[in-house]
This record gives sequence, C-alpha cells and structure tokens, in this order.
Amino acid sequence: MSSGRADPHDGDMNDTSVIDAVATAPTAARTALIEAHDVTRIWGRGSAAQIGVEAVDLTIRRGELVAIIGPSGSGKSTLGALLAGIDRPTSGSLVVDGTRIDRMNTDRLAAWRGRHVGIVFQDFHLLPTLTAAENVELAVELSGAGAGRRLRRAAAGAALDRVGLGAHARKLPAQMSGGEQQRVGIARAMVTRPPLIVADEPTGALDQANGHAVFELLTGLAHGGTTVVFITHDLALADAADRTISMIDGRVASITTKAGA
Amino acid sequence: MRSMMRQFGRAPGRILASIFALALAVGAIGVLAVPTVSEGTLHDAVERDGLADIVVDTTPLEPGRPEQLERIDGVRRAEAEASIAVRLGDGSLSRMIGLDFGSQTMDRVQLDAGDLPAAANEVVTSPSIGAIGDVVVADGVDYEIVGHGSTLWWSDSDVLYAPLDTVTELSAGGGTNRLVVTADDDSEASLRRISDAIRSELEVTGDTFTTFPILMPDGSTPIDGDISQISTLIGLLGVFAGLVALVLLASTTNTLIAERTREVAVMRALGGRDRQLRRRLRRIALGITGISLVIGLPLGIAISNLIARMVLEEFVGITPSIAVDWKVVGLSAAGALLGARLVAARAARKVVKLPLAEALRDREGRPFGRGRIQRLVARIPTGGLFGRLATRASVHRPAHTVAVVVQVSAAVGAAFLIPSLTASVNEFNSASFAPWSWESLTIARDPGLSFDRTIVDDRPGAEAGVWVDGEIEEWEVDVYGLRVDTEFFDPMISEGTWLRPGTRDAVLSAGFAARNSIHVGETVTLELAAGSVTYDVVGVSDDYARAIYLDRAVLAADLGAPGRANTVWSDRSDPGVDWGVAVRTDTVDEIAAADQAGRDAIVLIFGAIGLIVAGVAALAVMSSMTVSLYERRHELAALQAIGARRRRLRGLVIREIVPVATLGIVGGLALGALGNRGIIASFESSNAIDIGVVDAFDAIPIIVGGTIVSLIALSTLIVRSATRRPVTVTLRGAA
Repeated sequence: MSSGRADPHDGDMNDTSVIDAVATAPTAARTALIEAHDVTRIWGRGSAAQIGVEAVDLTIRRGELVAIIGPSGSGKSTLGALLAGIDRPTSGSLVVDGTRIDRMNTDRLAAWRGRHVGIVFQDFHLLPTLTAAENVELAVELSGAGAGRRLRRAAAGAALDRVGLGAHARKLPAQMSGGEQQRVGIARAMVTRPPLIVADEPTGALDQANGHAVFELLTGLAHGGTTVVFITHDLALADAADRTISMIDGRVASITTKAGA
Repeated sequence: MRSMMRQFGRAPGRILASIFALALAVGAIGVLAVPTVSEGTLHDAVERDGLADIVVDTTPLEPGRPEQLERIDGVRRAEAEASIAVRLGDGSLSRMIGLDFGSQTMDRVQLDAGDLPAAANEVVTSPSIGAIGDVVVADGVDYEIVGHGSTLWWSDSDVLYAPLDTVTELSAGGGTNRLVVTADDDSEASLRRISDAIRSELEVTGDTFTTFPILMPDGSTPIDGDISQISTLIGLLGVFAGLVALVLLASTTNTLIAERTREVAVMRALGGRDRQLRRRLRRIALGITGISLVIGLPLGIAISNLIARMVLEEFVGITPSIAVDWKVVGLSAAGALLGARLVAARAARKVVKLPLAEALRDREGRPFGRGRIQRLVARIPTGGLFGRLATRASVHRPAHTVAVVVQVSAAVGAAFLIPSLTASVNEFNSASFAPWSWESLTIARDPGLSFDRTIVDDRPGAEAGVWVDGEIEEWEVDVYGLRVDTEFFDPMISEGTWLRPGTRDAVLSAGFAARNSIHVGETVTLELAAGSVTYDVVGVSDDYARAIYLDRAVLAADLGAPGRANTVWSDRSDPGVDWGVAVRTDTVDEIAAADQAGRDAIVLIFGAIGLIVAGVAALAVMSSMTVSLYERRHELAALQAIGARRRRLRGLVIREIVPVATLGIVGGLALGALGNRGIIASFESSNAIDIGVVDAFDAIPIIVGGTIVSLIALSTLIVRSATRRPVTVTLRGAA
C-alpha cells in the first residue's frame, strides 16, 4: 500500500485503510493539481452560441478547499463540470493531476475520471437499483483498482462508516433521506481516494442540519489532503474555503485567498 | 398544428422515428388486404372475360349442338370452342384454342395490343410466342400473329387463339370439343343439375364429356380454391403482422407520452388540470399517429398490391392493376387512431397520476425498492454489480421487460414460422412423390383417353394408365387407373389390401379417407366425367394425396373408353412410343424443378410477409429498448460520470437484454412451432389431406444467432446514441 498522496492506482487497493489514509495524509505538498489556461466552453454555433465560461486561467493546488461562487448563469457549474472532466472545453488547455484532459475522447475521459476524480452532485445521482454499499462499491470497480470483490466491499463499508452510514449499507436510495443519499454520494466520491473531489452544490438539496454535516465531511477530506472544489450559492460555506473563485458572466471575476491558506 | 410543429422542432429524430414506426405498423396491416385485392382483381377479370359457369371437354360435336343444349332448363347460353395441342416450330408443345370471335359471349380474348384474328391463318398469342406481324409455325402450318392478348382461363400458359373453324378443321373428329355454358341460376346445385342434363343430352347422340366438368358456382373461378388457401395463409400472417403492429403502435405511443412526464409535472405544478393535460397528451399522440397514417396507408396499399401481384402472377398468370381494399384501409386507420387513443389515454393517466413531487424530483421514473418484489430482488446477489444492475433494471420496469419479450417472440416467431412452413411444404411434396418411382410421365394433351394402351403394354419399363379428375363427397380427387401389378407405384397400404384385377376395388388416400369417414369395407361413390360410379374400398394408402387408385381397365370402361389410356409412366426419360396423338413427356427432374419453382414463389411470398412481420417486430424491440434507455439516460450518465466507459454500458445493456431475449427466443420458437402446426392443420382440414408438420430446426441456430447479433448491434447503437451528449449536459437535463 502506497502512502501519502500517491496515486491509489499505482498499487492494489488491498485494505480498507485507504479511507483513513485520505484523512491523515500530509497537506504540505502544495503543488498544482489543476492548471487551466484560457479555458472556454461555448455551446452552439453562430448567433445561437452560448458562452458557458470564457478565458479562464486558474491554478488549484493539491489539498486546497476551493469554493466557486457566482450568480445563476455565471458559469460556476460549467467550470466545475470542466474541472471534473464531465465536460470538455471548446478551447484552452486543462491539466489535472498532470494529465491534459481537454484533448481526451469521451471514453478515455470516463476512465480517467474513475481514477482521478470523485464527483458529488446536487441531485445525488445514485443508481436507484443499487443499495448504498453497492453504489459505493461500484465506484471502486469502475476505478479499475483491481481489488477483489471482498476488498471492494470492505472499502465501500469503510467509506460508508466514514460518512456515518455504516448501518444503512443495504438500503436502497429510495429508502433513504436526501441527506443520507448525499452522504452516500460523498462516500462514493472519496472511496477511491481520488486527488480531486468536485462537488456541485452538494448542500443545495438538503436542509441546514444535513447540509452542515455534508459540508463537514468535505472539509474533512480537504484537511486530509484531497483537493475539494465545491460550487455553492452559500457565501457562509464559501467563507470556509481556502480560496474562493467568483464567477460573473462566464469569467473569473475574482479569486480570494483566505489568510493563512 | 403549431403545437405539433413545436414538438417536432424539439425532438425531430424521435418524432420522425415514431412516425416511421407507426407508419410501418399501419402499413403491415395492409397485408390483410391481400386476399381481397387478389380476389377483387380475379373477379374483375371474370366479368371482363365472360367466364362460363360450366366448362367441359367433349367428344367432337356437330355444329348446332350448343343451340340444342340451350333448350335444357336453366341453361342461359351454351357456346362451343375447340382446343387442340400443337407443336410449334421450336419443337415445344402449345395449345391452339378456337373461338368464335364474332359472336362469343364467354372467354372473350382481352387484347393487350393489335387486333383479333379476321382470317383463318391469323392468331392472337402471348408476347412470348412472337411479336405482332411475326409468323408462328404450328404443326407445320404458318399463322400470322395479329395481336397479343389472353383469356383468364388460359392466362397461365402460352396459347394461340385462332378462329373456331381453323381449329375445328384440325381437331380429331373435325368438330368442336369444348363446351362453355352459363346458367340462369349459378348456384352449385343448379350447375350440377345442368351438367348432368347436358351429359344426358349428349349421350343421346353418342357424345360424352371427356373431362370432368368444371363448375364455377356463384361467380367463382377454378383457381378460387388455390387463391383462397394462399389467402387464408396470408390472412393468418396478416393477423400476426397486425398484432405485432399493434404492439409497436402501443410502445411508440407510450414513448411519446412517457417522454413528457417531467414537462407534464411542471405544468401540473403551475396549475394545469389533469384532464386538460391528459387531453393535450392524447392530442400529441393522435397528431403523430395521424401524420403516420399519411405515410402508412399508402405503404399498406403498396404492400398489399405487391404481394397480391406476386400471388396472382404465380397462381393465375395475370398481372393485376393497382387495387385498394377500402375496408382494410379504413379499418387500419380507425384501428391505429383508436389504438393510439386508448394507449395514449392509459399512458397519460399514468403520467398525471404520478405524485407531483416525485415526478418533479425523480427523473428515473418510479423509484426502485418501493415494492416487496423489488426489495427482495435487491437482496439477491445476482452476479457482479453490473449483473445486479441488469437484473434489477428488468424488475424495475416489468411492463417494458414483458413488451420486449413479446416483441422478440413475435420477430423470432415469424422468423421460425416461415422456414418451418417451407420445410413442411417441401416435406409434403417429397412425401407425395414417395410412392412413385417413374423416371418420366407422359400425358396426352387432348381431352379424353386418346390412345390405345396396347401401344405401350408391350414395351418394357413403361406402363399405360388413366389419370383423370373426379369427385368424392364433393372433394376434387385425382383418379388413377393403374395396372394392378404396377411397378411404378408403391401403394404403401396402411390398412386393408391392394387392388385385385378386374374388380371394382378401390384404394383411397389414408388422410382423405379418414377426414371423410370412409372406411375399408365400405363403398365409395366417385363422380367421373362420364357420370357417377361406385367402388368398394379395400385399402387405404399413406400417400399424402387426395386420390383414389383403381384398376385401369375398370376405370377406362367406366369412362366409356375401354382399352384406352391417357398417361404413361416409364423408367426412362423417353418411353420411345409412337403415340399418334399429341403428348407431353416430362422427366421426374423436370417436374421436380417446376415444382421447386412453384414452391420458391410461395416461399418468396411467405418470406416477404415474414420479413414485414419480423421487421415490424424488430422495430418494436428497437423502440422499446430506446425508450428504456432514454428513460435511464441519467443513470447511464451518472455511471459515465463515475468512470464507466461505453463498453461497460454496452455490457450492462447486453446483460439486461440477454435473459429477456432468451425468454423471447424460447417464446418465439414455441410461437413459430405452434403457428406452423396451426396453419398446417388448417390446410389439412381445408384440403382433406395429410400434409405433416416439419419444424425447421436447422434454422434455429441462424435465428438465435441473428437475434443475438442484432440485439447486440442494437444495444451498441443505442448506447452510442444515448452517450453522445456530454455527461454534464445529460445530468443537467435531469436537474
């Protein structure tokens, strides 16, 4: 088992300590994880063209907790999707964890995501026919970690324990509350110990108490060395971030760095 | 209309696919119109040509005999014709028909080009014999072709139509030898009575019928039986096509409505009333069905005419003009609209009944795990995670799963039915040849028993006999007069004994005897050209025919021609007999080839219909799978987001489809086998013969392989299409 921030896919995920390893990894390695240069995303063509984000230059370091804020339609979700690799820029270059992802085809990008990114959605997007444990285990399987079924199951169980849902492992999404589903989503995002977690309004569909608990989990991951980028409308949550990227009309209006970050 | 255009602009691909699917569904129903279109065309030809009610060959008749026959009660008109066999310049045998072009009211020649003959050496022929203006040589005499045309009666063969006097001068005995009669009352009973009366009237002057009279009651034609049989089969396949079409209609309409679940939820949230929304959904479905009818109805008319053309060209030799069965057109339009209305109403009710919060929140349809069975299945570890996903997806959408099973069954059923029917027909043909062991068959071309059998009897490897038409219990039967010690027919007696020489013993086909409750030891009444005769049934033969076997000497005497014959079976390709009359000799290979050509044509017709059924069913499968994956596009996008490659998704869809397809294949094979048995049983019953059922087991690997490969290809295509959009766009569409 490799230690620290090493790519978990360099070796087999052969024990459940991966989750703990994420939580205790040193935060000193502040090298750049994401480097975006002149990134633009436009939908449609000609007069129907719609700009998602335009000319974004950005560097996000490893272990940072970054908030992206902005009014509706400002491009924050588009930027989050680009950073997570679930969309590709129309132009510009985007390097994440040393890999230039803007040139990857759909399939390679999917495989890359499985290994390098955990995504938390506002609407959870859990697979409705799989139990909580199976949803988390699926992420391990798709990451190509190569672990056996028993180890995958153990890793999923540990991740669920970590988010406080160990007792709900056999529940189906339809049998869980929104907050529980979102915590399963976080367990799914972190179980493969990716260097980057992108969360798009992770608390948007939750009440205050659940939202708070979910956010605590994300900040905990960042403190453990995982880069966490979250998109939010909630300025109070953004205040907790190391850096806050403010978007307006598809452009980065400002980047605020918290003192001491 | 504006709303419809907006719908179209929103999802042109899906709307076009729906229109095409519905159009094909409506078009497939057109198969049901084939029998009516065929029969309509045939009966138009009957009216046009003036087909007689009774047609019979006779011994040469003196001029004026037809007028005398018109005095018989019920005879409206009797006309004489002449028919002789002639050898053309290229050595082929043809027939020359003598007609009184000036006064005849029956068998009027329909000219395609040129004129009717005006001089003794002028003829009308089919184009294959020669061009207008050409000279055709028949029995060494030159005739000028002055026109191209035919009559319905002879439309399936190449004949020369010449003036009546020309042909009577050439015929044996120098008179007319064919009578055509119309009756005041064309019911079957009336025609039988008239036929018997004419026979009696002819016997007064020593004349008689030389063939069994052909009666065409109630405006029927001699090939009505054939057309009716093929029509029955086409009708059965048409019903099958119609049912599959309805499944397609239902699944397409369901899709159109289901796709609007969220849109409707939003409208409900904004205050739209359920009734109003249901009406709107129904209108969308009906509008699209209406547009589909514009394409589907002409398609159905084209399909029915194409198949009717194949049937009529094969069985009658006429090329029909375009005909429309308005009843089927109307019914398909009404059925499609009503079907769409009913399905749309049900689907719309389902959509508006979904709890609003759920409809707005849940994009994957009804949540999984609410029912006991779903919760139970969720606890069963069926394979790996993708295996579980596949199993649970099938349980999650049971209606969809059942629909795909039914659709695959329909496609496989049609695909299995056609080769099985073909195999059954082929086996039946082989079986009906099985008792015979000749190498060539020679049949006299002129009516009656036209040669003395002693010209053959001395020759080794040849037997002369009699082969004529007859009737038993109103069934047309083949009547064989054989040498009792024949070497060319193995009677395959399953009960009783074979014939004894010089007796009135008869052997009947076993299937025919059983279906008519005729038993060994009973007597049977046989209607012959010469009248009614009775025989003692001494045995039954497993010959897969509808035939009666008699001692040739007894039969010839019953036909009023003792010592005469009309057929020779030989163990060589040319019996080498100096016949003195026109005969046609065919080898077993030639007959088998002609038989094969006929069967090929039937297979082509069935194949075309089977292709339509299988195509519609395949489209239905495609439609259902597309709907299912469309409904689950967010699930697929979520899988992609967490790292699933396309091949994983394809694998998932294939895992889902394999058990469903397996059920469908098994069901389809059973359906095809049952259909084969049903159709064969119906043929056996309507023909009073044994046919036998053969299942095309050889075709199963091809059908199963083809189905699986098609489904895998379809899965690949659909997954490719479902994952074309960026993941974020699909997921955002969900939000």
